[in-house]
Amino acid sequence: MSTRAQRLYRGETTIDFYGRRKRLFVFSGFLLVMLLGSLLVQGLNLGIDFKGGVSFEVQTNKTLTSDKAREILTSLEIPSEGAKIQFLTSSEGERIRIQLGALEESVRLKVQTALADEVKLKAEDVSVATVSSSWGRNLTQQALIALLVFFAFVILFISIRFESRMAFSAIAAVVHDIGISVGVYSLLQLEVTPATVVAFLTIMGYSLYDTIVVYDKVQENVARFSGSKVSYGNILNVSTNQVLMRSLNTSISSVLPVLSLLVVGSWILGARALEEFAIALLVGLITGAYSSIYIAVPILGMLKERTPVWSGMRGELALKDEMAHLMNVGAPVGRRAKRSSEGVVEEVGAIAPMEAILSHPPRPRKKTRR
Amino acid sequence: MIRRLVITLVATLVVIGGVFTANLVAGYKPSLGLDLQGGASVTLTPVGDFDDAALTVAVEIIRQRVDSIGVAEPEIVRQGDAVVVNLPGVKDQQRALELVGRSGSVEMRPVIQMAENPDATPSTTAAPGATTTTTGAATSTTLAEPAGGVGSARRVATPVTTVPAAENVDPNTGLPPGQTVLPGRDDGMLYLVGPAEATGEVFSNDSSAQIDAGSWVVVAQLRKGADGEGLWNALATKCYNGGADCPTKAIAIVLDGEVISAPVVQEPTFTGGSVQISGSFTERDAKDLAKILQFGAVPVKFDIPTVQTVSATLGSDSLRAAIIAGLIGVLLVMIFLIFYYRIMALVAVGGLVLSGMLLWSAISWLSKTNGLALTLSGTAGIIISIGVTVDTYVVFFEKLKDDVGKGRSMRNSAVRGFNSAWKTIMTANFVSLLAAVILWWLTVGSVRGFAFFMGLATVVGMIISYFYTRPAVILLSRTKMMNKGHLFGVGVSQSNEGSGS
Repeated sequence: MSTRAQRLYRGETTIDFYGRRKRLFVFSGFLLVMLLGSLLVQGLNLGIDFKGGVSFEVQTNKTLTSDKAREILTSLEIPSEGAKIQFLTSSEGERIRIQLGALEESVRLKVQTALADEVKLKAEDVSVATVSSSWGRNLTQQALIALLVFFAFVILFISIRFESRMAFSAIAAVVHDIGISVGVYSLLQLEVTPATVVAFLTIMGYSLYDTIVVYDKVQENVARFSGSKVSYGNILNVSTNQVLMRSLNTSISSVLPVLSLLVVGSWILGARALEEFAIALLVGLITGAYSSIYIAVPILGMLKERTPVWSGMRGELALKDEMAHLMNVGAPVGRRAKRSSEGVVEEVGAIAPMEAILSHPPRPRKKTRR
Repeated sequence: MIRRLVITLVATLVVIGGVFTANLVAGYKPSLGLDLQGGASVTLTPVGDFDDAALTVAVEIIRQRVDSIGVAEPEIVRQGDAVVVNLPGVKDQQRALELVGRSGSVEMRPVIQMAENPDATPSTTAAPGATTTTTGAATSTTLAEPAGGVGSARRVATPVTTVPAAENVDPNTGLPPGQTVLPGRDDGMLYLVGPAEATGEVFSNDSSAQIDAGSWVVVAQLRKGADGEGLWNALATKCYNGGADCPTKAIAIVLDGEVISAPVVQEPTFTGGSVQISGSFTERDAKDLAKILQFGAVPVKFDIPTVQTVSATLGSDSLRAAIIAGLIGVLLVMIFLIFYYRIMALVAVGGLVLSGMLLWSAISWLSKTNGLALTLSGTAGIIISIGVTVDTYVVFFEKLKDDVGKGRSMRNSAVRGFNSAWKTIMTANFVSLLAAVILWWLTVGSVRGFAFFMGLATVVGMIISYFYTRPAVILLSRTKMMNKGHLFGVGVSQSNEGSGS
């Protein structure tokens, strides 16, 4: 026998995903409850784009410290308790970012000038963003509308291309992903910006993409096993194992650029605008890959096993070598083989492939006479 | 079959290479968005009742305003109901607000005096020749409308008064309260006007440019009641009588401190409920004026929810970081692919390079022609799409490996593998594209920019995988080298080894 890594490489793993669904659901459920608990207790750390206010950002020198900044604010009669002061380090020195509530236009100008004076730059070198609080609501509303419309279209598309149960379970996986991602944002108190909303929306796209690849395989296998009595759970297990390597590789290929964005772009080069984005995406990519296999597929299985076509074989799961046989041969292990010992099964598995795999569907009869 | 594949492959390489070099030679480069370049961005959202046409006109008016100031490459886009105005290079938030945030109402003011504008630039002085003719007031005082007696206001500019500018028009001294001197928009004139006595709201918003007796005129309907007909007729009567308040008998239609048109009133009262403004309009003049009157009739009030200025250094820092991070990310992905798929990965690496070239060309071209600007979130969208692009290869190669592992020949698997992988890729990419389109359609600002670039990258990825990856892999699979064995990183599956060969 080959090692697990080798089998994974060849796509010959026989992991019983479907049989373990209850444990996985408990795990996901626990995670979700914990994260949503954090959401209820701590809420989200909303950026000024959602709360409204003014944000200043400028290159610092040694003299402009956090205390000094607060001093400037106090001297302009702005309560500095509510101010959020951050320092962002980049290759070109440090920047200070000060976020305040709504300000009068004239006060804003004063703060801008005072900050510029402090670091001996021109006022226009201070980046300023002013946001009204209605804007954030507006943005959230837009995103929600976009989300609902997207769901409607996706349900329609998957129902047409595949079937409605797949649409439902795919959406369930997406909801799971968004729940987890929002929860992580709350838990770590990461700042929610419009970029985060973008990232969350992307996460859905990813998650669905992954799920669809698995479903495509499932559909292919349903057709492949249509002649023999194979339970839906088995089909799901076989399909998942077959796409496992692809899922892993794609996830790695997708995570690498995002990781580079986070580590190189944001941490080393100091472009903080990229950080929020990258974290949301990283979390989303990982849950997306996870949920397409551990949420979307098992839910689909449970839904399908209720239908008359599959309910008869509910709970029948071929494990290990039997699963390998299913994957390679495209037919369940025969009764005789089942009764005999493990070794024999292996042998059957070894001989059967040639005739089974190379058996194309019979060529259709030629319509025209020669 | 082989011939066709070779042709496809060569054609793809030639086309992409050609497009890329053409862009380079033409000097097209992706233009950078505000967050990468520095500048000011103002978002406007209409408040209260507004109608769609008025909003369109409002956007155009803002555009003209910004254009007249001479901001380089301003970007004014309507996103749903919101209007986003990006002013690269404008560093002062105050100035940006002044430029964009003015109310833009249309006023009607009596004209006291007119004069050539000595400051008028050549381009604007060229205009009067085209627009000022004729005192031929005798023609067309009626409008062929069954409704009945229609008043006509005929625009007469130069002939009425030509007083040397310096003597009479002094903006700083000697003007009674309410009077002011305003420049004409295109005609190189200065107008001394009295206080605004009516706004554009006297008209209903269906003003239109029409052809009357062979020339372009603008017809506007008056609103009923004291706020419409009442106000207008009071002003018209005053001007028709040519008293001290309105010696020129002309009414100036003013927008943003510019006199758009100053027609001379031909009738004391406009009983028919509509006003016809005639003159030597070109089609464009007439349509512009009609549009302004439409806008004046339903002025759109804007709220300004966000104003953002980004300093140029912050912008270039972010850009550099995004580019470096992106390149490193791509490099890592390439190394991973080569490690995993060996020789076959070279196809993927080539594919990524080609995708990059095509994407760069598309963005450059769109920048040049449609004023598309690459923003930070757009850059992120592209970096993210790397994963999706690579996935097309992963799906395909896994399929190949699967088939080869089961004992098929490379030759055979390549074609089958692609067909089946292509189906999967199409389905999955369709959802990505759907997400991009819906996001683009329903959102504003950075989300929209992101969606656009994600969608673009997805389309480019699909083009590359069909026109490049397919022929490349199929052809490669026919070489002897590929059929020898482990170059692809695929051994023949253990269970098959015995019986397979």
